[in-house]
Amino acid sequence: MSDFQRQATQWVNPLSVWGTAEGVDVVQTVTSPNPRDTWDANEAYKAKIHKVGRFRWHLVWPNHGENLWKRWRWWPTRRNVLGIHGLYNRKTLKAEKKIDDRRPIYWLICLLIIAIAPVLFPTGMENTLLSAGAIFCIFAAINVCWTLVVGTASIFSLATYAVVGVSAFMTTWLSMRYGLPWYSLPVFGSAIGLLMGWLIAFPALRLDGFYYALLTLGLNELCRVFFTTSKAFGSASGGLYGADTYIPSDLSPFAQSIFGYYGAFALLLAALFLFRFVNGKRLGRILRMAPEKREAFAQACGVDYRSARVKIFLITSAALGFIGGFYVAQYRGVAFSIFSFDTVLLGLAMLTIGGIGKAEGAILGTLVVTFLDKVLIGIGPLRYFLIGLLMLGVVLFLNKGYFGIKKQFNAWRDKKRGEWRSIRSEKGGEALPEEATELDNKDELFFRRFDKMQRDHLKKMICPEIIEEHRLRPLGQHSEALERVLYYFRRAPMEDKYALHHIAATDRYKIIAFSGERGVSPRVVEDKEYEHVDDAYHAIFMRRIHDLMES
Amino acid sequence: MDITFVLLNAVVIASIYGLIAVAVSITWSSLGLINLGYGFVFSFAGYGAWLMSTYVTKMPAPVMAAGILAGAICGVIICLVVFIPLHDKSNFTTRGMVGTLAISLLGSQALLMNFGPRAKALPEFFGTGSVNLGGIVLTADRIGIVVCATVMLCFVVFWMKGSRRGLEIRAMMMNPHAASIVGIGIRKTGIYVMAITGGMAGLAAVLLSQTYYVAPFSGLTPLIKGVSIALCGGLGSVQGAIIAAVILGFTEAATSSLLGGQYVLITQFLVIICILIFRPRGISGLLDKAREQ
Repeated sequence: MSDFQRQATQWVNPLSVWGTAEGVDVVQTVTSPNPRDTWDANEAYKAKIHKVGRFRWHLVWPNHGENLWKRWRWWPTRRNVLGIHGLYNRKTLKAEKKIDDRRPIYWLICLLIIAIAPVLFPTGMENTLLSAGAIFCIFAAINVCWTLVVGTASIFSLATYAVVGVSAFMTTWLSMRYGLPWYSLPVFGSAIGLLMGWLIAFPALRLDGFYYALLTLGLNELCRVFFTTSKAFGSASGGLYGADTYIPSDLSPFAQSIFGYYGAFALLLAALFLFRFVNGKRLGRILRMAPEKREAFAQACGVDYRSARVKIFLITSAALGFIGGFYVAQYRGVAFSIFSFDTVLLGLAMLTIGGIGKAEGAILGTLVVTFLDKVLIGIGPLRYFLIGLLMLGVVLFLNKGYFGIKKQFNAWRDKKRGEWRSIRSEKGGEALPEEATELDNKDELFFRRFDKMQRDHLKKMICPEIIEEHRLRPLGQHSEALERVLYYFRRAPMEDKYALHHIAATDRYKIIAFSGERGVSPRVVEDKEYEHVDDAYHAIFMRRIHDLMES
Repeated sequence: MDITFVLLNAVVIASIYGLIAVAVSITWSSLGLINLGYGFVFSFAGYGAWLMSTYVTKMPAPVMAAGILAGAICGVIICLVVFIPLHDKSNFTTRGMVGTLAISLLGSQALLMNFGPRAKALPEFFGTGSVNLGGIVLTADRIGIVVCATVMLCFVVFWMKGSRRGLEIRAMMMNPHAASIVGIGIRKTGIYVMAITGGMAGLAAVLLSQTYYVAPFSGLTPLIKGVSIALCGGLGSVQGAIIAAVILGFTEAATSSLLGGQYVLITQFLVIICILIFRPRGISGLLDKAREQ
């Protein structure tokens, strides 16, 4: 039972100086364990515990009740720039301010960094970084629009780059053929994009998610083959170049790069505004009501999710066409590589790395992939390897890309917390946490805890020596260990308490158990009859010990 | 320009792309995985066959076996890396698809690094003879391609109908949850499925390299054609894929002989879109709600 080493000892009755009824002053017995050990063992946590609490460095803004409603607002509405609420610290009772959503601050910081990035570029790499930066901004704009289609509208379209490419080729061709000025190219581009979107939205109405994905993958290939093989679009030269551009040609090459960089940055800002005003307003909210596989419920609530999806698809297609026209106005034309499978693959890698469905995910993914693809051009094909590994790693380990890490981590931590809690909580008399909250009499909980501890201690005391002692003298003065055990037994509630029944006819004894209810007769526990009352006492004692050890 | 020539071409094209389409179809319906890594499986198997023919023997049977084996190994690799870790995670369909794409990116780059960008040619297996059947000249390689593809397809269909593993795969196609409840291991079945479909893609690679070459990125066109055929026939249906392969093969052959090669994809996609608008689940797509996880 326990590793407690018993030693033979003598128990001296402390009352023996006044004389005892039976003249027993000294009892041969064994040492009993220290109750303090049981107490400590019950108080200790079995699982490893850690220090908890708020981070010391967690930034808390002080507040005053008067200041709480002094906020920045978007003029002329009453909408807040930052969602703030005031609260009182439960420990210090100080007024504090909490920002509910810190993302606007992060967005501002990141966009500022992109805006001043040309100043920060290391000398010698400015040209590479500026051209990579312009490409990053344009691709980020495309991916933000793609996020609207894939995330908000849940149409898994892979034809995004096809729309951009078709619009770019058509506007280049128009510009070369009819001499259109650069400022008209994005406008024509959006018209072409809208037309293209209208054409490919038809199958989207009928097809399910992945059927549509595969179909659009094919459409992309179709565009590639069509434009590569047709003579009008410069099949021999690897692309079509010669459109009008907005970058003045009398500037120095470096100034031209700067000009292009900021033009592309403006495009990115425009794409982000589009995302904000589609995803965050009515259309986006309608579609948040109808996520994939729960469309039927949304429809039953009166949400017309189909038309909302098609509207978003058309808006996005026009925007993508605009980007195509802008691309042409920036680079004077476009190469066939925009239709290639690798472009789709890299685009998908960009979306996946950041997390599908979030604008910040699209931008971060684009940043990472563009950096690997355009800046680390010196390491050769190894960079595609890196992109592939990154993509595979993100898909295998993250549910929702980089920006889903926090949620995933919290879910994992909650799971682990539950596991640890279940290790700590014990059964056996003590209340379960769920039960404890529902008990009104909290004394009951403390009694159960004490009772469990006492039983643990008594279990350690039981040994053959005290059983033998009881068998020899069931009544009268006993050693400390036996006496404590007997006190516990005697204090048991009346329900199912063992007792002896004296059969007068035969002068024998039987063990019975009380019902605990007035008027309900006791039950007979066993048929065995005992001749001597001391044997019967000992039999009851053995039963009680048995029950104690079982509990 | 006679109709028999067009039909003949249609059958040859259909038999090769049909193999990949059936592979895509089986993988989707039994595992729920949209495997866009077949392009890589295709090139990998092509290089496997090429290594066999360069370093060991040029005999047709071992080279073809090497191609099939390499394809099966590559399929199992995809299964181990993407399917087994992901199949019980949230968002499996999207993540599985992106995962197979990532494998195909990694694999193609690895092939490019190892073997260089130059295309390799496989020996001609079926000789250069020809048979004249009532005015129609059948060259040996065409007969060989059609016969091999048909034999492989029949083998797969009979194996799926007759063997215990095939029964497991068909049970997974019907209802993956019920299959796992009655004791069919999803992971084990996944490995069988990917091995057999990888073998089919491998054979397609060997057969197609009779006409084209083996190159790191040569798997893309067959993949897209296979996927379109599987889509048109209905993901999850073998007979649908075969019907669609015949229809699209015929479209391709007719377009290239009547209009010209660059219009092939356009007419094919028009046909596919027409079919899908009338039957959104493909020609014989039976899985309406069954594969909803």
